Amino acid sequence: MTPIPDNVEGAFLISIIDFVLSFVIISGIGVILAILPVVNRYWVIDDKDLKGGH
Amino acid sequence: MLDQLLSLFDALLKQTGLAHLYWGNFAMLGVGGTMLYLAIVKKCEPFLLIGIGFACIVVNIPGSDLAEPGGLFNYAYKGVSLLIVPPLIFLGVGAITDFGPMIANPKLVLLGAGAHLGIFVALILAKVLGFTLSEAGAIGIIGGADGPMAIFVTMKLAPHLLSPISVAAYSYMALMPIIQPPIMKLLTTKAERNIQMAQLRKVSRLEKILFPVIIAAIVNLFFPPVAPLVTMLMLGNLFREVLLVDRLSDTAGGTLLNLVTIVLTVAIGSTMSAKTFLTLQTVEIVGLGLLAFVFGTASGVITAKIMNLFLKTKINPLIGSAGIASVPIAARVSHIVANKENPKLFLIYHAMGPNLAGVFGTAISGGILLALLGSK
Repeated sequence: MTPIPDNVEGAFLISIIDFVLSFVIISGIGVILAILPVVNRYWVIDDKDLKGGH
Repeated sequence: MLDQLLSLFDALLKQTGLAHLYWGNFAMLGVGGTMLYLAIVKKCEPFLLIGIGFACIVVNIPGSDLAEPGGLFNYAYKGVSLLIVPPLIFLGVGAITDFGPMIANPKLVLLGAGAHLGIFVALILAKVLGFTLSEAGAIGIIGGADGPMAIFVTMKLAPHLLSPISVAAYSYMALMPIIQPPIMKLLTTKAERNIQMAQLRKVSRLEKILFPVIIAAIVNLFFPPVAPLVTMLMLGNLFREVLLVDRLSDTAGGTLLNLVTIVLTVAIGSTMSAKTFLTLQTVEIVGLGLLAFVFGTASGVITAKIMNLFLKTKINPLIGSAGIASVPIAARVSHIVANKENPKLFLIYHAMGPNLAGVFGTAISGGILLALLGSK
């Protein structure tokens, strides 16, 4: 990997990459969270079962 | 006889700290005293500021060797510098945090990234002021408003700046109820501040159990540099959500969290000796930290307003500022500002979504910074 230059241009570069990638990755987490409720169709865990199971 | 007495007295005086007092000690005693005043009288984050302020006072009394190698405060600092304490703080935070609001409204996680513009503004300005890129990265992360993450990234990128960065991060977190509201009001109209948000769906137990496992896997896969923090956050949360290990959950979120908070605050305060703290660099870092918080708050609100251009059901842009992290202070500020505008508005649960996403936003930004700057 080419090292990022230790100057103001490098600071701009690292900031832009980081800011954009943060949006992309956090959007990915958002997508996973959006499809998470699908699991409720296949399995339901009752709080009472957990509390009484140990 | 008198000469002997005077010379003995002089030797005795030199053994004490009195002979080594200088203006810097008095200045730092003032800083420590102000922190105690804010904590005790103004009730600003007393859990953090009492330990930091007290340790700051003690280490600035000449002769005190508590922060020297072998001293008790030095061992507390070792816990921080070896990166043991910050992950344990996250374990405790995970055990007391309900991620339901974030899981229930996934689109709001975008605010967790949007409210981090301050990181990059501070990073670029730090570079302009002449800091190295690694130092600028550590200074920028103050804008993530996440104390343990700021410490973690600083110890990896610029450990010599731990004292001013951690003090700036924790101080501004304590001062968020003062810093954020004017910016939030400036950037929103009265109509926007009055937007009522729909009630969130109920999140099932299964979702709450799967969430920490999935997030821990993602973070370890994509962001190994910050994985220790988020992994421990998720472990603590799993303890909480499985409902089976109350003792572990209670210990992590209670006794252990209190214990490591004592260690952390004492360690931070012990780094605030006059000789290392009273420098131009500290003034610059404290100034950049404030700018980071201001820009982070503004960018969160603006991101929420941009989202409203595309959303059918509008969100109240006041929750945007909560994306800056600092759980739950920023969410509380969003709620209070909205509630003062309209007593019928209760935004706290809605604001917790972006607020929790902000923790991940800071972790992601920190992880990318560490990866780009070649730190393991």
